[in-house]
Amino acid sequence: MTEVSIEGLTKDYGSSLAVNGISVKIADGEFISLLGPSGCGKTTTLKMIAGFEDATAGAIRFDGQDVVNVPAEKRDIGMVFQNYALFPHMTVAQNLAFGLEMRRVSRSDIATRTARVLDMVQLSGYADRYPRQLSGGQQQRVALARALVIEPRILLLDEPLANLDAKLREEMRVFIRDLQKRVGITTVYVTHDQAEAMTMSDRVVVMFGGRIAQHGSPSDIYERPASLEVAQFVGQVNILEGKVVSPAAGDLTPVDTVLGQFLVRGVAPDANGTVTLTLRPEAVELASADTGGAQATVSASYYSGSLVDYRLTLDNGQTINVQTFPRNRWAAGDRVTIKVDGERFWPLGAPS
Amino acid sequence: MSMRARSAKPFLLIAPAVLLLGLFLVLPYINIGIMSFRNPGNGSPYAPGFTTGNYLRLFSDSFYLEQIANTLMIGAITTFACLILGFPVAWQLARTQMRFRGLAYGLVLSPLLVGIVIRSYGWTILLGNNGMINRTLINMGLIDHPLGLMYNSLGIVIALVHVFLPFMILPLMSALQGIDPSIEAAARSLGAGRITAFRRIVLPLSMPGIQAGCILVFVLSLSAYVTPSLIGGLRVKTMAVSVVDALIDTFQWPFGSAMALMLSLTGALVVLIFARLTRMKWKAN
Amino acid sequence: MSKPLLTGYCLVIYAFLLMPILVVVGASFNAGAFLTFPPQGLSFRWYVVFFNNDVFMRAIRTSLWVAAVSTVISGIIGTMAAMFYIQHSGRWKESVRLAMLLPLLLPEVLTAISLLFFVYSIGIGTKTIAAMIIGHVLITLPFVFINVSAAMESYDPAWSLAARSLGAGPITRFRRIMLPLIKPGVIGGCLFAFIISFDIFTISFMLKNIGTATLPIQLYDYLRTNFTPEAAAVSTVSIVLTLAVVIISEKVLGLRIHRF
Repeated sequence: MTEVSIEGLTKDYGSSLAVNGISVKIADGEFISLLGPSGCGKTTTLKMIAGFEDATAGAIRFDGQDVVNVPAEKRDIGMVFQNYALFPHMTVAQNLAFGLEMRRVSRSDIATRTARVLDMVQLSGYADRYPRQLSGGQQQRVALARALVIEPRILLLDEPLANLDAKLREEMRVFIRDLQKRVGITTVYVTHDQAEAMTMSDRVVVMFGGRIAQHGSPSDIYERPASLEVAQFVGQVNILEGKVVSPAAGDLTPVDTVLGQFLVRGVAPDANGTVTLTLRPEAVELASADTGGAQATVSASYYSGSLVDYRLTLDNGQTINVQTFPRNRWAAGDRVTIKVDGERFWPLGAPS
Repeated sequence: MSMRARSAKPFLLIAPAVLLLGLFLVLPYINIGIMSFRNPGNGSPYAPGFTTGNYLRLFSDSFYLEQIANTLMIGAITTFACLILGFPVAWQLARTQMRFRGLAYGLVLSPLLVGIVIRSYGWTILLGNNGMINRTLINMGLIDHPLGLMYNSLGIVIALVHVFLPFMILPLMSALQGIDPSIEAAARSLGAGRITAFRRIVLPLSMPGIQAGCILVFVLSLSAYVTPSLIGGLRVKTMAVSVVDALIDTFQWPFGSAMALMLSLTGALVVLIFARLTRMKWKAN
Repeated sequence: MSKPLLTGYCLVIYAFLLMPILVVVGASFNAGAFLTFPPQGLSFRWYVVFFNNDVFMRAIRTSLWVAAVSTVISGIIGTMAAMFYIQHSGRWKESVRLAMLLPLLLPEVLTAISLLFFVYSIGIGTKTIAAMIIGHVLITLPFVFINVSAAMESYDPAWSLAARSLGAGPITRFRRIMLPLIKPGVIGGCLFAFIISFDIFTISFMLKNIGTATLPIQLYDYLRTNFTPEAAAVSTVSIVLTLAVVIISEKVLGLRIHRF
């Protein structure tokens, strides 16, 4: 199995820097996601790992061996493409056999390995079908099988679920994750879908403008975002201005906000003693009775079955978004009391 | 593999085509441009030195000017006739779900598969004084003397329309196929009659196809050689026929070059004016 | 136009398109010595005359040979150019397309004359058949290019990348992945090129060398001085040959298409 180390990787297209000196280490067997909006350089990074794009500068090491000058066909990677890129003139079995033929695997070994992997992706009866005879989800699994049957050093996935419908997409997340765990292969997964990145990955690398904005576990990224951009990209967020009331006691600092005074962790106030706090909508609880928290008026509510989203207007005119379970329901115009735990605030490092 | 080797490779794919077109199309065209300014030779194709005399001779001789005008006229009439005759066919091919659509499409394409000499030959059989049309009409007692269908511009136009009609129908058809029928339906629902819907919606939207078809047919008619030569005989000569004859029979290379370029440039000018006019007209509408 | 009226009109046009061809085929079975109408009985005599006429038989062989050689050359050059056009031309795409279609956009007469002068001025002349083949390749190249690039449009570059990631080098990628997938376009383009080349007149007429006339030239020469139905027999055989090429390739092509 393989450990991947990327150092100062850069792609310069002349007119623009697609990837600007990124460095990341991927442990053996780890599942890592490159997450970011389109044009952030995540796909270019994946293509450089695959060998489809030349790196302008930097190193890509597989187990310490630099592969920058190794052509893609010799890198021994398995890749799953966004549109699967199954060879339309070959059957499922022929698609799977192709990579093995390139490796001069004997005919009988090809048969056994193909059968084993098809079984793994639950497509045993489909060996003689052509890709166009399969559903989107089945094609997806053939693409996975084709990449895995060659037993590559690393597995690369380029937005593989983008073309599936919502329900299938959620099933495939679990399927891919389980399969990856079972095979234990080092995996790099590119996506612009934060939920996908969160549910599947050991670690998420958030990229903006060719640079790494933050990398860490899914909960790190979500609960302790390094910047406003990251916070907004991985979910909805309320932004609140805070004023430090008195110096920190331990790592808790008392901060005054429109919602009241809270003890917040990790505050690094600027010279004026102000701090920008993020608050996720689901960290807020609402109550009808005046229990002493900040008061607000419901200006809109959006019901989506398992959850309800509210847009609230605070008495000072500021708007905040709240997400709750639909246990209690409020309508537009209702007065509510806001309850928040100070632990749920996260301060942004430096105000931008 | 070095990066340089990788980026140089794609160019090798286009290199043979560039070489072929550069060497055997671009250079010869430059060469013929120069040739048209050479002195006419005596006993040889051309003599040393340069002159504008070949062009002056063309412009001062009413025979050639008339011939150019006649050729342009034949081209224009052929083009117009192809448009009028071809539009309904293109329409039907593009819009109706006929059972025999494949067959109809094959019929439109079929003349393209038959050599131009053979097709022109067919027209000589049909149009000649003793040809099928005249014989049939005489036998039916409708006429006493054969109609003059061959050895004149009419015969040339009839045959050229036949030869180039597919080149009009195909671009028209693809333009009409690109128009969503619901757009026309929308116009009708807004109160436009059939004719108004056609004039205000279908015609402007099919303009690119009309343009392409007209330009193609016009250019092809100007440079047609076989059809005018076989149908027109010695009596009516189009410019293209004169040019080829001047070169093959009399070896007047510089003068022939000037004639050929003159014809092509006039044709290009007409095409440009046509393209400009049609674009402005339909934008104004 | 109402529907029956439109259909009737179109039938007239189809008849107009087919008429001269049918007339030629019909005339070839005329038993008389001249192209008389109505025909003087049915006969195959002009086919016998034609098959015993060395000049025409040689012209057919020349035509087939020239068409075959030109098709192979423009097939290779055109396919390569189409691959470049679709996958690598970038911002030069429109220019490449225009350049590749240039032989179609320029008047054939002018191209023929230009080429004639050029081959003389560089010393090739028309002593060999090379000049004629160059002309045929020029004219047929756009047809290969159009057909292959149309097929390439639906070729997903990710297929090549997938093959690469599975360990296939450039030659394997072309042979096992790209070629099978663009094959209908290549065959269609070559078929078109072959038929066009078989029928080219003006270029052949200007660039012919003494003694090796192609069929259209021989037919044209013959028609200028003769009026026997032999020409009709020659034409009919030529039409049948072309049709045979189309039908056979369609069958072969059809089988290929149905495989995926």
